[in-house]
This record gives sequence, structure tokens and C-alpha cells, in this order.
Amino acid sequence: MDEFITLAHGNGGVRMRALIERVFAARLGRPDTSADAVPIALPAGEILVTTDGFTVQPARFPGGDIGALAVHGTVNDLAVSGATPLYLTLAALIEEGFPLAELETLIDSLARAAREAGVRVVAGDTKVLPRGQGGGVYFALTGLGVRKPGLGLGINAITPGDKLLVSGPVGDHGIAVMFAREEFGLRGDVRSDAATLTPLTQALLAVPGLRFMRDPTRGGLATVAHEIAAARGLGVTLEAAAIPVRDSTQAVCEMLGYDPLYLACEGRVVAVVAPDHAGAALAALKAHELGADAALIGTIEAAPGPVVLRTALGGRRLLPELEEDALPRIC
Amino acid sequence: MAEDLTAAQGWLEKIHALPLDQEVRVMNVCGGHERSLTQQGLRGVLPAKVKLIPGPGCPVCVCPEEDIAEAIALAMSREVTLVAFGDMLRVPINAAKGEVRSLAEARAQGADIRPIASPREAVALAAAQAPRPVVFFAAGFETTTAPVAAMLAEGAPDNLSVLLSARLTWPAVDMLLRADATSLDALIAPGHVATVMGADEWGFIPHRHHLPVAVAGFSANSLLAALYSVLRQKLAGKPFLDNCYPELVTPKGNKRAQALLAQVLEVRDATWRGIGTIPASGFALNSAYAHFDARARFQPAALPRRHAGEMPPGCDCASVVLGRKPPTECRLYGRACTPRAPIGPCMVSDEGACHIWWQAGERPAA
Repeated sequence: MDEFITLAHGNGGVRMRALIERVFAARLGRPDTSADAVPIALPAGEILVTTDGFTVQPARFPGGDIGALAVHGTVNDLAVSGATPLYLTLAALIEEGFPLAELETLIDSLARAAREAGVRVVAGDTKVLPRGQGGGVYFALTGLGVRKPGLGLGINAITPGDKLLVSGPVGDHGIAVMFAREEFGLRGDVRSDAATLTPLTQALLAVPGLRFMRDPTRGGLATVAHEIAAARGLGVTLEAAAIPVRDSTQAVCEMLGYDPLYLACEGRVVAVVAPDHAGAALAALKAHELGADAALIGTIEAAPGPVVLRTALGGRRLLPELEEDALPRIC
Repeated sequence: MAEDLTAAQGWLEKIHALPLDQEVRVMNVCGGHERSLTQQGLRGVLPAKVKLIPGPGCPVCVCPEEDIAEAIALAMSREVTLVAFGDMLRVPINAAKGEVRSLAEARAQGADIRPIASPREAVALAAAQAPRPVVFFAAGFETTTAPVAAMLAEGAPDNLSVLLSARLTWPAVDMLLRADATSLDALIAPGHVATVMGADEWGFIPHRHHLPVAVAGFSANSLLAALYSVLRQKLAGKPFLDNCYPELVTPKGNKRAQALLAQVLEVRDATWRGIGTIPASGFALNSAYAHFDARARFQPAALPRRHAGEMPPGCDCASVVLGRKPPTECRLYGRACTPRAPIGPCMVSDEGACHIWWQAGERPAA
């Protein structure tokens, strides 16, 4: 096959066929590429659907790449909704001139992440964009999953006094992507936290008193806190000393003036749990390798209002809603 | 957040035990200090009588409007690639309606402008795209100017030149204390500047102005230690120069950095935005390095503007920089002027008091 993607790979002819068969179908468990639509089998339960686009620049970064990230991002939206992710669809938008070997590597990575997450890519589409009209490669995915009906899970289940937990250090993904862009001439040992959250969310689902789960992607932990405050008309207090942040991530943030609480994670879950069950939820997270650094980080307050960070010295500062887009595209 | 705060807690308790019977106004000169202490909520845990006042240590805030207008004119000429520290891109000038108001707007209109984080990036870019001219718009204090001097001393590519807008910190503080002799009770001196220039540079505060001063680092521990020191000095009526950042700051500073500054630059009178001319407060390239001067190479001619050189109409950044007003007392703060649509430079920079307060959730009184 050719070494680079050309417009001919998108024209519906021989080359497009070859691209789909050899690069995509061969790696994705040979889904039916001849049909316009495919039937899927779903177990009993509530069916959940989600969709997500991935444009991260560059396509590879320490700890991951756009292929694995696309699976993690889509699967995690299902997982934090209490569902077991089952199926994905994949649209790949590829820029003319993109190296074929690079595309193969990314699809390998996507396929590996899908296998690990226990999901199958059942339908797909490819498009080739003329040079200059794309950013290398973009993926758009739709995810399907099933959850047990009547979980009572959701942002509206949150009540004053509930506790907030996070499954591990925040901000690593945002910093890892920044390293990869090399715009700041920085080197460091920070790796993206991108991972499938299903094992953690399934463990949390077993804990009584679980109210709500969300993955703090764009806008980070502080933005999840704002979403809770806005949706419920309640306050949120976070304890700075309790929030796990890696020293290396903290150091880069201080150098560049970023706040790790606003940086994206791609393999963390924020959970809200009734106060009596917070200990059990923390134990459930910590029992899994991905949640080894989980922590109890805050409380839902009855008084409506801002998101407050209690600093380690007992001071307070408000965490405003994110306004500035200081960071490159990270998902 | 991994910082061990045991020592900081100790300083805080000692500060609370001090018999303060009247208000003590302490200026933290450095924008980095303001950022650190605001982020940690220190104002809220200190005795009510201790007032911390942000000072002039924000290079973006005091960078002359004329210099930014020159940089915009140069970039819009399309003859050069202009590189600058990221903060500078969003600072608005007093351009006429319809004209380009910031480097970010110039970039949106097609000018080749790139944010950088260190002089090394400017050198690498110039080498990579020779012979196209690269102009480094270098605004900053001693700390950021020393690496610029090093870059030129070590030999920069011929197609690289510098639009220098560099300032010395202490002359501004000296001027401020001469003008406002009675309004401040003590100062906290900038840790990074002192790392380069030496703690002794700040000895003029007790000697000439009879006020307490302590050099501080950026941790809660170092900031509170410095605060305790100046409060003790104030109570004892015996001001002196204390160094609460001995891990990095020596009395004489970094001799090599100072030698590079002296080799490449000379000290001149310089304008500070919204403040005016301060004697011997700016750096310029000396005659041996004048060939790197972008002003001489390209003679940028900024478009004529009303209020050239001033802060924008209605903007209190000058008073904020001088510690005469807190950000929240500016009529524009949080209303017409926010980080998304900044009017004054203090709302742009990471070291600007308005931006720092806004980010920490300070909102204007309804």
C-alpha cells in the first residue's frame, strides 16, 4: 500500500476499500464492512448512548495517543453513567498526506484500548480531507452501553452533606499533552492518566449511597465541582490538602501559571457519595490499582453558591468558572 | 499541595501572637508573591490588622504602551517573525477604533507572532528560519533580562534582534516610597530578582526610607517568615534588611548573571506605563551590542493614537500597580474588564493583581 494517505483513499474506490480492510477492519476484529448498517445484540437493561470527537494535538503524547484516548474518552462517559460499555462506532477524518504507518499505529492503539475495555467497534466510516483542511487525524466515536435500571444515579441525586472523592492525581493528562507539544521546551516525567474507568465505576456501583460519577476531562476537577453547584443550586467545598496532585505536575503548573484543578484528566473519576458511605467508596477505589491514590476531597454544602477551595493553611479562595482557554486541545 | 506546612503554621501562630494595636500595611512588591499568597488564601488567615498590598512587580503591567505599539507595527509590516512571552500578546494598546489593539489581534490578522517561554526558543526559531528576520520583544525585569543578555553574549544568529523593554525593579520601589512616604509600613522584597541581583540591593528601604524589609521566596513558609520578620521589625522600631529566602538568595546575588547584564546592557531612565519616567530604571543595549537592536534595524513606526503611553481611559491599573487602590476598587474591574476581554494590563498578566484576584474568585461588590 501507499506510504501516505491520499485523496484517492477517500474516493470510494479500490484504495478506500484497501484502507478500510487492511488498516481498520483487520485491527478491529473484522466487523462487517459490506453492510450499510449492522444489527447488534444488547442484554436487558437501560440502553445508554454517547458520542465524542477527538482532535488532540499532537496525536501522540506521553502515556497515550489519540487512538487509545478516543476509546477511553467514549467508554468513560458510559462508565460514569453507570453503564457497562459494549459497542463503539468510529469515524476517522484523515488529512491528505498523513503517514500510513502512523495511522496503523494509532488504530493498533485504539484496538488495544477497545479490547481492554471490553468493547467492540461494530461500524465505521473514513473520510480524507484535502491537505491543510485537517489536523492530521481526527476521530469521532459513538458508544453504546447498558446499565441496570433504577440505579438512581445522577447529578440531581446529590444532597447537602454528601462527600466528593477523586480516584487519583489530577491534571496529568493536560500537562502530558503540553509536554508533547514541546512549545515550552519542557521535559518531564508526567504521563497522561488516560485509562478505561469501567473497573472503578463498577466497583463504586456496588457501594450503597453512590449518587453521581463524572470524569473530569476538559476543565478538570474544578469544572465538575461547578457543574454540580450549578445543577443543584448547592455549594461545594474542596480541601486543597486532600486533592492528589503529582509533584511534577504541580511544579510545571507553578512554572507556567496553570492550576492543576482546571487541567484535564482522562482516567480519573469524581464520585459523590452519601457521607455514611464515603469510607466504603474510598476503600472500593483504593482496592483497584487505578484508584490507589484515591482521596476524599470535599463536601457538598447546603448554602448555594460558589465553589470554595479551603487552602492547606485554612484560608479560602473561590474557584471561579473556567473562562480562559489557556491550553492546547487536549482531547 | 505537597508542601509541608508545619513551619508555615508555626509562623502564622507567631504572627497572631504579635501585639499589633494598629493597622500595618505591607507591600509585597512581586507579582509572583501576590499570586502565591492569593492562591493560598493567606489574607484570610492573617490578623485583620495586617494589610497585604500588591506592588509594582508585574513586568507586563508596566511595559510601556508605546513599546507594545512598536511591536504591533513591526509584526504588521509582515517583514519579521515576532516572538514574545505569552502574556504580552493580549495586552491592549490605546489604538483608534478599527485598528489592531494587541499582538493577539495582529496575529489573527495574519502577522507572524509566536509566544515563547525562553530566549532559547527565540534562538532556535531564528536559526531554523534564517534569513527571515526574527524579533524578540523582550519585556521583563532583571530575572528575565539576564537570560536575554546571556543569549546575546553567547552569540545569537544574525537574523535575530531584540525589541527590549526591560526594567529594574528597585528604582520603581524607591520612587514609590519617595512619593508615598507615609502610606506603607513595611515591604516584602522579590525573591527571584534578589536571586539575581542580591538581597543587599534592597538595603535602601531601611537605610533611606526607615522601613522594614524582608526578601521572601514563594512558598507559604517563606512568605509568612518574611511577614513575621517585617512585623517584628515594625513593632521593635528597628528596621533592617532580612533575608527569608536564604536557600537561593545571597547578599550579593548571582555574579555571573550580573556580569552578563553589565556586558550587554546599560542602565537608562525609562518610562513605566501609567507611572511615567523613573530615573535609571531601564535596560538598553550598549554600543557593543547595538547591532541587535530591533529599533535601529527596523525603525518601527507605531500608528498615531490618542492617549498614547497612558493606561486606557477609566482604567486604574496605574493605581493598582502603585498599591494605591486594590483591584476591586477599579470601576472597570469585573464589569467592563475581565480576563476574557481585558482593558488594562493588570487583568492580562499572570502576575497582574487584577488577574490574580479575579482568578481567585474576587468579584466586584454588587
